[in-house]
Amino acid sequence: MNYLDLSIADIHAALVAKKVTPLELTKEALKRAHESKDNAFEMILDDEAIAFASSLGEPEEDNLLWGIPYLAKDNFSTKGLPTTASSNVLNGYKPLFDAHVIDVLKQKKAVLIGKTTLDELAMGGTGTTGHLGITYNPYDPKHERMMGGSSCGSAAAVAAGIVPFALGSDTGDSVRKPASYGGVIGVKPTWGRISRYGLFPFAPSLDHVGFFTRYVSDAALLCDVLSGRDEMDSTSSEKPVPHCLEKLSEEKKPTFAVLSDIVDSIHDETILSSFRALCQKLEEQGCKVTYVPFGKEALESIYATYIVISCAEATSNDANLDGIKFGPYYEGKTYQEVMFNARTKGFSELIKRRFVIGSFCLMAENQDVLFLRAQRNRAKIVAKTNEILKDVDFILVPAAPSIAPKLGQSSDKLSDEYLIADNHLALGNFAGLPSVTLPLGYEEGMPFGVNLMGRAFEEEELFQACRLVSDSTGLEGSYYGKEDK
Amino acid sequence: MNFEAVIGLEIHVEMKTRSKMFSSSPNSFTRFPNTEVTCFDMAYPGTMPRVNKAAVINAIRVANALHMTIDPLVRFDRKNYFYADLPKGFQITQQFHPIGREGYLEIKGRDGELKRIGIERIHMEEDTCKQLHFASYSLLDYNRAGVPLIEIVSHPEMRNGTEAMRYVEAIRNIVLFSGTSDGKMEEGSLRCDVNVSLRPYGTKKFGTKVEIKNLNSTKNIESALDYEILRQSAILLSGGKVQQETRRYDEASGKTVLMRVKTDAVDYKYFPEPNITPIRLSPEFVQNAIDTCPELYDSKKARYVALGLSEVDADILLSSLAMAKYFEEASIGGKFAKTVANFLISDVNAYLNKNGISIEEFPLKPAYLNELAGLQEDGFTHKQVMQALNYLLENQDVNPKGALEALHIEKQSNDDGLVLAFVNDVLAANPQSIADFKAGKDRALGFLVGQVMKAAKGKVNPSAVSKVMLEELKKR
Repeated sequence: MNYLDLSIADIHAALVAKKVTPLELTKEALKRAHESKDNAFEMILDDEAIAFASSLGEPEEDNLLWGIPYLAKDNFSTKGLPTTASSNVLNGYKPLFDAHVIDVLKQKKAVLIGKTTLDELAMGGTGTTGHLGITYNPYDPKHERMMGGSSCGSAAAVAAGIVPFALGSDTGDSVRKPASYGGVIGVKPTWGRISRYGLFPFAPSLDHVGFFTRYVSDAALLCDVLSGRDEMDSTSSEKPVPHCLEKLSEEKKPTFAVLSDIVDSIHDETILSSFRALCQKLEEQGCKVTYVPFGKEALESIYATYIVISCAEATSNDANLDGIKFGPYYEGKTYQEVMFNARTKGFSELIKRRFVIGSFCLMAENQDVLFLRAQRNRAKIVAKTNEILKDVDFILVPAAPSIAPKLGQSSDKLSDEYLIADNHLALGNFAGLPSVTLPLGYEEGMPFGVNLMGRAFEEEELFQACRLVSDSTGLEGSYYGKEDK
Repeated sequence: MNFEAVIGLEIHVEMKTRSKMFSSSPNSFTRFPNTEVTCFDMAYPGTMPRVNKAAVINAIRVANALHMTIDPLVRFDRKNYFYADLPKGFQITQQFHPIGREGYLEIKGRDGELKRIGIERIHMEEDTCKQLHFASYSLLDYNRAGVPLIEIVSHPEMRNGTEAMRYVEAIRNIVLFSGTSDGKMEEGSLRCDVNVSLRPYGTKKFGTKVEIKNLNSTKNIESALDYEILRQSAILLSGGKVQQETRRYDEASGKTVLMRVKTDAVDYKYFPEPNITPIRLSPEFVQNAIDTCPELYDSKKARYVALGLSEVDADILLSSLAMAKYFEEASIGGKFAKTVANFLISDVNAYLNKNGISIEEFPLKPAYLNELAGLQEDGFTHKQVMQALNYLLENQDVNPKGALEALHIEKQSNDDGLVLAFVNDVLAANPQSIADFKAGKDRALGFLVGQVMKAAKGKVNPSAVSKVMLEELKKR
């Protein structure tokens, strides 16, 4: 047993009792990071982390994050440290400011030990498109299966037990899907709960700061700490910060709606039986679980709607990456040539494709049939989601239709399984609702997860439900190779 | 002329708020290049816009002055295009929901008649950065990037250059007196794009429009339009077609010159700005912005005229904010307003011009100018008061009374008895002059008055002397 494997509250107790020091924890985390073979890191911050951990004096008893090592996805701005979003277009870019969440964690004296890989500019769901190549799933040492993305490096690191928690971002399912493939907890609170200042935007109307943990209490703690109004992000909510950790133990018998069309589109028997078993356990504990149809047509339209809106916003957000102000500069005879060169050389083909799609959807002659139609459809889907949540407390569904798919294996993009079961997590982004993926089980040694979504700004209740689910599955705290360490 | 000109204006006004439209960067125009810049102004990834409240207040005030309907839900949109001076690759503007819609402005037409010009919209947006082009390189100054702008778009309802000029003057007065902007065309804080087309009288269809840029004074707007209307009309009369193009005004030749022929309109791919959630303005906030708006030009002018000033004099005093401020401080409660105005318009202006300074640098306290005006109204001559004023300008620790004492200036007497005594003495001593006057030599009167002034050592009022002298001469 290593202290690093405990919940943050338990590590904290050990720190306060001086059974372990921040430096020892940091060194252990760095060691594990260097041992990792999953290509999860843009950068491991040995010197900075050791210097920071060494500088911490007496334990702060009322600060659970004091001296806790963590990782951040490389699309969070870190002052003076390269931040590339795993894209060549930002190679060498050193921001002049810290993202809000990085700053909060610095104030809390958590120890940043590195920056993790992502699908280029957070656009992608496989963890294979970053400029450093494929990020692998620690549960699959043969490197045949994907980690999932876009927060692949953070997911892999927490799944491998390198740190107790890691920051990610979630625009469609970029935290909650890889959490499913990695057997860890992946959280995306309500849109506006956590300031996005310093998070490189992909599609701001869908973007969320999220995080990975292995314990429900850690997730509740991080939600409390990272939440709150930030003047630098005018979309951040002025609602009082939640007290998820404090309220975690409150006994509740919530009601759950299982979206039947989603379950119907899944064919993996192991996942289905684990899911049914979970529902049964929840009912045994006095919770009510009902099957509710969402509407197949609406669910099938999620992916197209998501692509149109996210690509449209992305093409505009990333228009600043032109080589003139930051990032690699390429000579040109005119400013157009300078921009053209920077963008041609800086972006991968996949990114360019998204920009073309986004641009096309925004063109005056296409806006109504593509962009605005997608927005109208989004509004309809959001209305339907909120309608369901009027009658029940949470929506409960398998997070993905399968374990982590094999690399290079292409799915049928028009099948129900793909269109519905592989994309439904974007419901939480459309409506900005708080959503958490938790480990549900294993198949061929690979994890899969279950997802819970609650009402806006009701994170306290959501984590109470997570507590119930987690107690039912008994998978809290696990990571790949834990027994060996 | 066979054609009616159709003129519409788009005016961009740089607001003089303390900070920029969406960032906390200072907004002062005066600093060294690239020193008033935040990470947002440079479009660093992850930075987000924060709406400047003062800019919203300004926009409300201007919209109200233009009789517009104010949208209480403030929303912003993105205008997407690539250009070297556009850091983010998009400009945040208000394409779909401008803060103000459908208003008007009343101006005097060419023949002095009152004319109402409709205004389509007013919206807030951010400025781009400034480019300086050299032979082999270009320089960018990000100080201007993000400076708050309001754009005011008129309906195409002006018919000649004079109307356009007066429209711009009226807009300038509103933004200037509301404290929104310096409104300086020559420095670019008020920029004007003019669209003009011609059509045969009586027709409704618009002709091909030409855009004119580079107009750096209101006078140039009038001249450029007068020229352009003649140019287009000559083309049409000779059977030609006006080309859709952008022209600039060349001040030296007084002509408009082709800049570029317009190709297809750019598709800016507008969509709502996702990083600014719509802001609901309370009715109280809007009303408070309006109620606390500094007094505008028209209101001041009406007040000055009510104090007894002519319209022309009121316009002169209102030609600058500082002059109007000085006038108001020097005529507190309307006391001696007309005399104060006269001092400012003739004597003080002459002094300012002679010394090449502005009214802000004029060293005399407004309260002293008021006292001096009071002295003149009390019977001191204009010449005496101006002597005192000059003394005060050179001796700043002295007040007007002290200046009079130092200069030994005394009020001249209007006492008819005293004047009569002096007049009779002088007439008795100068019979030849009486004869000259009777013979029609007007010069004699001046001589006789002068003799009286000399005898009285200047202590009598020369106009009273003239009056009495004439009466006495008639008796002889």
